[in-house]
Amino acid sequence: MLQHIAAVWRYRYFLLALVKLDLRQRYRRSVLGLGWSLLHPLAMTAVFTVVFSNLLGGGDPTHYAASVLASLAVWGFLRDSALQGCRTFQANEAYIRQSPLPYTIYTLRTVLGQAIHALIALSIVFVMVAIFKQEIHVALRLILLVPALLIIFVSAWAIATIAAYINVYFHDTVHLLEVGSQFLFFLTPIMYSRRILDEKDLGWLVDANPVYWMLEMVRHPLLTGELVPLEMYIHAAAFSLLVTGLALGVIAWLHKRLIFHL
Amino acid sequence: MPRIQVDNASVEFIVHKYQKVSFKEYVVRGLFRRSINPQVRIRALSNINLTATEGDRIGVIGHNGAGKSTLLKMLAGIYPPTQGRCTVHGRVCSLFDITLGFEPDASGWENIVYRAYLQGETPATLRSKIDAIAAFSELGEFLSLPVRNYSAGMRMRLAFSIATATEPEILLIDEVLAVGDLAFQQKARARMRELMSSSRLMVLVSHDLNTIRETCNRVIWLRRGEVVMEGPSDPVVTAYVQAMAERTKHAVQAA
Repeated sequence: MLQHIAAVWRYRYFLLALVKLDLRQRYRRSVLGLGWSLLHPLAMTAVFTVVFSNLLGGGDPTHYAASVLASLAVWGFLRDSALQGCRTFQANEAYIRQSPLPYTIYTLRTVLGQAIHALIALSIVFVMVAIFKQEIHVALRLILLVPALLIIFVSAWAIATIAAYINVYFHDTVHLLEVGSQFLFFLTPIMYSRRILDEKDLGWLVDANPVYWMLEMVRHPLLTGELVPLEMYIHAAAFSLLVTGLALGVIAWLHKRLIFHL
Repeated sequence: MPRIQVDNASVEFIVHKYQKVSFKEYVVRGLFRRSINPQVRIRALSNINLTATEGDRIGVIGHNGAGKSTLLKMLAGIYPPTQGRCTVHGRVCSLFDITLGFEPDASGWENIVYRAYLQGETPATLRSKIDAIAAFSELGEFLSLPVRNYSAGMRMRLAFSIATATEPEILLIDEVLAVGDLAFQQKARARMRELMSSSRLMVLVSHDLNTIRETCNRVIWLRRGEVVMEGPSDPVVTAYVQAMAERTKHAVQAA
């Protein structure tokens, strides 16, 4: 484990150079650049706000829009980490066949790229909140996000690593994950508020959903300036430890065999 | 001190006979999968023992598919041994598959940077080398174009220039590479010779028996993943040549 981290650190220049390349390619592919790739969450937010803010959001469109955009940023980060994670080893096969770096460096490449993308979307939420509240000290709220973002990042890295390994053995993993993520999207209070499920006595569905904890840890402090209850942090941290443990297990089990299956 | 220690190491591949299994297939056919898509075990190396230290120049000879490249990849740490142990101490430079792994959309300059970092350089150490790498490749203005537009020869030049820019302790080479046009080939050969003499430990896989005889002090002859003979260059190469000659004679007689 420590050896692993030391190796990642030793090759940090390689890793960062590739992450930079990925981002540049992502944003250069179109005239609008950065704006183009943010257009998707922004458009989704706009549609949701127009259509659903009264129906599902409780009436305050600006609050609803900020909440949806924050949720979409975090949700998109987790989903894309898992989906892109699946393709990681295939995408980096040439490097894997050439040098004995720990494979987690490649999943880290995938996840870091997605993380920066998600942070850009979150910074837009922050600007929205700052404008609507017309207060500058909302900047303090960013500090409240640090533990949440750490927990989310570690979870995403672990999930991407697990997905990457499984996809080498079962190449349809990515399709199954796509279906699964569609399912989870509707199960998670992203475009609706949890009140709707609470009223039907389905609140437990939300309380047991790790994605919900992660969304709340980000959007609640960002929108209200208050921390979520401590137990939610504990649950989320426990979840991220669990998936990290799983990922380490998968690595210990498969990393010596992976190259023969690529 | 550079050191290679291989104890009783084997490498075994498991491949599926037809194609990879999908998860759906796995679930549906779970119980009968063996009969539908059998696993095939390929023993690429079996029970290899090898100790090499400072100053050793080891040649590896054998037919195609004898396990030469697999041995090299095991030493480079890319194939973990499925049995036994393989430990390598020292800064390794491997010269095989070097044209793989360019980022096609990035320019030649950028690819020099990525590859150099992959070989363990840092921005500080690279700064003093990058111009020499570019000059050696002779690619000039092409270096600012994306690598996807390069010809195979140009890629090879770039890859070779980067790969040989390190000061390795342990040098692993697969075949003497034919690089680019005639002028560049001579330059490349000179660079290789320089590397071979400056590296402190070398393992060379080649079909060119003269090169092996000249540069190596020990030779390993592999057949189907097993060591047939190991020892000083001359006797092993001679025995190999004899065995080949007999085999061709049998083949001619049979025909």
